[in-house]
Amino acid sequence: MKPKDVWMYAFSAIKLRKLRAGLTTLGVIIGIAAIVALLSITQGLQEAIATQLQRGFATDTLIISAGGGMGGVESSFTLLLNDTKTIEQIENVTATLAIIQRVGYIKNADGKTLRVTIVGINFDSYKSFYESTFIAEHGEIPINPGNIAVVVGKRVSDPWGNGTLFCTKDDDVEIIWTNTTSRPLRNESYVGNVVAVLREIGGFSIGGPSDVSVYIPIQQAQTFFGTDKCEMIIVRLKNDDRITIESTAKAIRDAFGGQVTVTSATAVLNIISSIFSTIGLFLTGIAAISLLVAGIGIMNIMIVSLMERTREIGILKALGMKNRTVLLIFLTEATIIGLMGAFMGIGVGWGLAELVVRVFSTNGNLAGVSRQGQVATISMAKINPVLTPTVLFGALFFSLTVSLIFAVYPAWRASKLKPVEALRYE
Amino acid sequence: MAIVETVNLKKVYLLGKVAIEALKGVSLKVKEGEFLSILGPSGSGKSTLLNLVGALDKPTSGKVFIEGVDVSILDDNGLAELRRRIGFVFQFFNLIPRFTALENVELPMAIAGLSKMERRKRAIELLEIVGLADRANHKPTELSGGEQQRVAIARALANNPRFLLMDEPTGNVDSKNADEIMRLVRHLNEEKGVTIIMVTHDQRLAKEANRTVYMLDGLIVDEVVNKP
Repeated sequence: MKPKDVWMYAFSAIKLRKLRAGLTTLGVIIGIAAIVALLSITQGLQEAIATQLQRGFATDTLIISAGGGMGGVESSFTLLLNDTKTIEQIENVTATLAIIQRVGYIKNADGKTLRVTIVGINFDSYKSFYESTFIAEHGEIPINPGNIAVVVGKRVSDPWGNGTLFCTKDDDVEIIWTNTTSRPLRNESYVGNVVAVLREIGGFSIGGPSDVSVYIPIQQAQTFFGTDKCEMIIVRLKNDDRITIESTAKAIRDAFGGQVTVTSATAVLNIISSIFSTIGLFLTGIAAISLLVAGIGIMNIMIVSLMERTREIGILKALGMKNRTVLLIFLTEATIIGLMGAFMGIGVGWGLAELVVRVFSTNGNLAGVSRQGQVATISMAKINPVLTPTVLFGALFFSLTVSLIFAVYPAWRASKLKPVEALRYE
Repeated sequence: MAIVETVNLKKVYLLGKVAIEALKGVSLKVKEGEFLSILGPSGSGKSTLLNLVGALDKPTSGKVFIEGVDVSILDDNGLAELRRRIGFVFQFFNLIPRFTALENVELPMAIAGLSKMERRKRAIELLEIVGLADRANHKPTELSGGEQQRVAIARALANNPRFLLMDEPTGNVDSKNADEIMRLVRHLNEEKGVTIIMVTHDQRLAKEANRTVYMLDGLIVDEVVNKP
């Protein structure tokens, strides 16, 4: 029998039992749709986070902060501003940047205050570290700022996101922090002038610019906070390959006698990626179970169909059909169901993913969390479900495999029927 | 040389734990171009004999030769290919209900791997021979019993078989249609030279054949030449 005729024959058999074949296909559709939806959502989530992370911290940087070891033991060790000089001696290091930061307040002309992170930095080198995020939307970030120059994040200028501005370019603002080392506690303050408002950054960042920070020149921070200690030093490396990152991180730790923590942006990125991969895999596993159930459904319909068609198989054999053609017809029927299930399942799954993302994300933000003390902010950007060729072909392959595996037994039984017994079957 | 020859053919069925001897040693020769009828009451083993000759079943012992070839040496594939050269007509027609008359006649040719064009042309010719060209696009449920059996005969002729095996071909049609089918069978034998082996329990129909063998309890008990 010609392959085309086998297809036509299998198709005519399926067409005869539309409802039953439809329900079986539905089982496959649900399984495939669940897998496709879950995979494309997790993949989209992963990509959204990865982009945000890459924006928030450059992959070729290391962040050094005081406090070594894993036990969280309090240490008297502190990083000093001029420790940058030690670090600059280390191989692969191309630039360093010290950051002083305190949690404080900013007060506008109306007397309203906002809690912010006050970050003291060298504007020019910070800009070179974070070229894509430390960018002014209004005004200009000065290369040689005066002491009272202040750069504010987008959420400091427009905290409610509705256009009602807290402060903007050229406004005078009062920068306040509470000196906790003095007795009694004392609020220190000075009046600064907003020279620039940053473009919205969003995303997650460690060390990098954030929407909820206020930036002042490093010299001013030194005087204002009365310190030459810094909270972190950011280091730029020659490149971002793993060996460079690991060897330099070790060299820096050694240079400070293990008293510092070196965080690699890339390492954090990898950890987060791997967490999401695991979650994705787990969810897919659950979805795969539903496909197995669908497979058993296929086997069921095939066995019922085999019994109903025993006589028909007998006729085909009496007319000279070979065993392997009978086998092929049954497997082709399963293939048709598997293919229909896969294509429709991919469509439904994709739609489902879009729907879920749309329902759960409002204004394109899944969540907005900010831990200001750590200069770490998370605000998820819009998640776009991602349908990679791997997911597509994987779904197709999985659907066909399940359909065929569960059809093998009924098909084999059909092919082995004895013509004379099959013809006698009522 | 005989086109069909059986030698001491025996067939034992197991019905539960009881062994039933359907054939107890049947030897038979059929010449090319012959029209043979096998007559006997039900349970005499005539259908069993036909199934063995048609390679639908395997004997317990004894041999079947078709055109001199020992059927017992063939594997499943060989048997399938052999069946393509044998036309089978069943008492209950055994048409595929979802196919039209034309498609049913085409089916054996599709199985044999003929192209759509070839088999359509031949199927139409065959339906003309059995007088059903105008019913080509009807499904079996839309045809009378007699018409269905004529479609089945057209199907049996599809691959130019070496001989036709008919198992009670008129058993399920009324007498008017039965006469028509018998006329067709005689026509095929006399005009087209088709060798025919027909099983029946109807004495009147059996006499239409050149030769009749009588079966009883799994044995050939008598043989009559009707027309030399």
